[in-house]
Amino acid sequence: MLKESLLSPGPFGRSPRFLAARSSLPYGRLWVGLGLALSLLFSVGCTNSPYPTDSATEKVLYSSYAEAPKTLDPVVGYSTADHAVTAKVYDTLLDYHYLKRPYELVAGMAREVPEAESLDGGRVRYRFRLRQNLLFHEDECFSLTRGEASFQPLYQGARRKVSAADFVFGIQRIFDTEVGSPVAEPFSHLAGLPEWGERLTLLRKDPVFKRRPIREQYQAAGSAPGLAVGADNELVIILATPYPQILYWFAMPFSSPMPFEAVQYYDGKDGRKMLSEHAVGSGPFLLEGYEKRARIRFRRNPDWYGAFPQEEPALAAVFPSVNGVQGLSEYEQRAFAKLAGQRLPLVDRVELWREEETIPAFNKFLQGYYDQSGIARESFGRVVHEGGLSADMARKGIRLNKSVVPAVYYIGFNLDDDVVGLKAGERSRLLRQAMSLSTDAAEYCRVFQNGRGIAADSPLPPGIFGYERHYKNPFRENDLERAKELLRRAGYADGIDSKTKKPLRLTFDVPDTTPEGRVRFLFWTNQWRKLGLNVELAATNYNKFQEKVNDGAYQIFQWGWVADYPDPENFLFLLTTGMARSVSGGPNTANFKNAAYDVLFERMKTMDNGPERAKLIGEMRAILETERPWIELFYPEEYVLVQPWLEGVKPFGLATSTTKYLSVAPGERRQLREAWNRPILWPIAVVALLLIAFVAPVFWLYRRGPGAGSSVRKEPS
Amino acid sequence: MLAYLIRRSAYGALVVLGVLLFLFFLFFAVATPDDIARRSVGEKAMPAVIEQWKVNHGYHLPLWPAPGHFRENLLVQHMERMLSFDFGKSDADGVPILQRISEGAGPSLALAVPLFVIELVVSVCLGLFVAFFRESYVDRAGVFLSVFSMSVSILLYIIFSQFLFGTVLRWFPLSGFDSSWTMAPRFLALPVLVGVLSSIGSSVRFYRTVFVEEVHQDYVRSARAKGASDARIMFRHVLPNAMIPILTNVVMAIPFLFTGSLLLEAGFGIPGLGSMTVEAINANDFATLRAMVFLGSLLFILGQVLTDVSYALFDPRVSLD
Repeated sequence: MLKESLLSPGPFGRSPRFLAARSSLPYGRLWVGLGLALSLLFSVGCTNSPYPTDSATEKVLYSSYAEAPKTLDPVVGYSTADHAVTAKVYDTLLDYHYLKRPYELVAGMAREVPEAESLDGGRVRYRFRLRQNLLFHEDECFSLTRGEASFQPLYQGARRKVSAADFVFGIQRIFDTEVGSPVAEPFSHLAGLPEWGERLTLLRKDPVFKRRPIREQYQAAGSAPGLAVGADNELVIILATPYPQILYWFAMPFSSPMPFEAVQYYDGKDGRKMLSEHAVGSGPFLLEGYEKRARIRFRRNPDWYGAFPQEEPALAAVFPSVNGVQGLSEYEQRAFAKLAGQRLPLVDRVELWREEETIPAFNKFLQGYYDQSGIARESFGRVVHEGGLSADMARKGIRLNKSVVPAVYYIGFNLDDDVVGLKAGERSRLLRQAMSLSTDAAEYCRVFQNGRGIAADSPLPPGIFGYERHYKNPFRENDLERAKELLRRAGYADGIDSKTKKPLRLTFDVPDTTPEGRVRFLFWTNQWRKLGLNVELAATNYNKFQEKVNDGAYQIFQWGWVADYPDPENFLFLLTTGMARSVSGGPNTANFKNAAYDVLFERMKTMDNGPERAKLIGEMRAILETERPWIELFYPEEYVLVQPWLEGVKPFGLATSTTKYLSVAPGERRQLREAWNRPILWPIAVVALLLIAFVAPVFWLYRRGPGAGSSVRKEPS
Repeated sequence: MLAYLIRRSAYGALVVLGVLLFLFFLFFAVATPDDIARRSVGEKAMPAVIEQWKVNHGYHLPLWPAPGHFRENLLVQHMERMLSFDFGKSDADGVPILQRISEGAGPSLALAVPLFVIELVVSVCLGLFVAFFRESYVDRAGVFLSVFSMSVSILLYIIFSQFLFGTVLRWFPLSGFDSSWTMAPRFLALPVLVGVLSSIGSSVRFYRTVFVEEVHQDYVRSARAKGASDARIMFRHVLPNAMIPILTNVVMAIPFLFTGSLLLEAGFGIPGLGSMTVEAINANDFATLRAMVFLGSLLFILGQVLTDVSYALFDPRVSLD
């Protein structure tokens, strides 16, 4: 009888086997296939290098980025991610001195930093004299004008020159609502520009007008008295009211020159890119490849003005001398002295690789594939030991650069609120002072920031004029006894409202619903609990939080501010009445309204840095000290790890590109990379042996001869 | 078959309309156009800029049809644009979504196609292998390893493989992508290996069950009686007859090769459509998410129709008439 042999267990079970003794499965082909697959795998693998070549001569800077830029349009891009590209490609009239702190403006594409000229009616004029040999990167958009006789004055040979009109065109775009620039407010100081924008918007209501080339549209909207081309290719700006901080905006890509051809050509139609995805700049680097979700490549711009021979090179075109620079470490003095005077940029190419996850990015740095890196939170203990580098890192020659970011984090009170706000008068002031005295920001930095932060006593961070290292805010000490006394005087002894005899309940509105965020915010409420105060967390998503803020339905919040430019005005304006959210929707979320503070601010904001300005800042600080609209928390610190072959690194803090100052030693890099990344191959043999150990018995039993076959092979008995 | 296809397509169209309505309510209930605009252009933007952004992205229209606005409203525009594959611009960076999809499809396919083919071949072979040695230690070890493979999170596979193969053994780059022919295999080898290891367990278990069930059939006994070898039985008789469940698995998966693998792409930094979707979730890029969910639903319906058609093609007993 023929048995249901294939229903029976296999050859190594306790039941009869079904395997044929001598039948041959196509294992030979399988092994060949497996071998080929493995060979292919190892022919492409067996190196962890993400780069095709590792040149010992070419100076390439490798770095990573987590967030892809949103836009390359210089008047739109506002985030650090955007500036990482735009600030390399688009050059500016002014620049910062790379080494000096406090920060100092130097000439860039302009021949010098312009002086303010007072005009009648309180107006102020600045004249930017442009350098010679300013050229745009070579780009196909210039085919629109290159052959046209009427546009020949725009060209120097075959290359499109940068003229003052290109700066005018670029700044006008800020007021073109279709462009959507976020920086119209500071540039609205230029007389007549907002009105120019309104005229353009009106004209565009005519569909025929809207179809005209962009240059014609702008010309048809007329000119603004505050923005013009002067004699001898000068850019002339006239401010309606004094605003000395405007010069800082000319050190940012928002004011970079923009050729009208680029705007007209890169419209996203007929297969052409959009200007937000393509850059036509005049900076030290030109964009070679832009796959923003994977990799961004730059190469040195051979036509950058700094590359042309000059009698006296521009400060922004050479590595600055260390003479007269204060605050450099011994190492920096030595290293920067070697680079001083060298023409920028110091590298030939730059490659930025997208790394969304911090751990692979950090491990690639440790493998030598990135030239500098931040520190992954998970690896902090391994890298930093007692504030310095761990022995492991130091042995590899890696350096640690620490810098304070010009930013401040704070807890704010909504001063329009009935309990914590100004309406409650002295009572709420004492309450705010008591809470400030029991808020330990240094401990917060230690617990949550790996110590990367300096406890703040005022809104002004280090590096900003007006910051005083030895200043101690009497309400930012940690003094629980004093805090309890203030609370008692406020009528909230032990958190009980003396009027209602009920516990005081406060709400801390936070835009973070993650467990990690909750732990961070609970740190503060637990500190206030020591005073007997019951502060509840109201955690919502960011949209809901925005709604609350817009409706004024919040009591206590936490926020931060990163400087746009290094001037105290950029921090102290956050607490002026005009910027109150309930008044103008501005960034004064605390709704702090203090007439004396406003008067002092108006006087301070137009002053040059000096003793008188410092005195006014001191007076403003004293008001904030007592009124406590904010509890200043900390100034964040940035730790950057630098490979031994990278030189010229000076942490900068502001959102501008310093890549042109960095130099690499490719030979040393290649040697160290090879030493750090030799593949370990012996596990291949171990895996092969294990496979053989697993499979060999199968074959042995399978092929052991007659009698070992399965019952299906047996003839029916 | 034509009638069947028309009928299935009509059902599919209803599903798609349902999905579109669901997407509309879901996304426009979560955030108002003002919220989306403010997040995109920044808190410091002037109101006129926010309004212009809404116009540029088509969010300036009223939500619902009203007298005089039967076409000029978000609901109708949403349906029309989706059905004509005009997905508009990304809420996050203003880039046309179709452009983003065309850029991301290459890396997604570069990862998904080899992963799909290798996983299919290896899991079918291993399924046959363990079915062949069923109830032996080979089978038990195979089942144990399969269950183990199924039980471990893919995130752990990614992290562990990066640590082992990238950091310790230094065989492969930890992450990244380069679309050139010479470099792409170097970046794809480890993600493919991880993808195969993480998904092979469930496939082997499934195919083993199918093959074991198949070897019970009468035709296997007949083949054996005629003297066919074990190899011939397994590859020429069992495998073709087990094609229906295999096809169900395989054909349903083919359309989704296009949409990429969310976690593998995000974990290894491959700029495909999977990681694009993850980024869109993180950035609240609702326009991209709407487009990807809509495409996903279309592909699902396409997969179902293709599966049914493939039954008719591969199994003469199945007719779609």
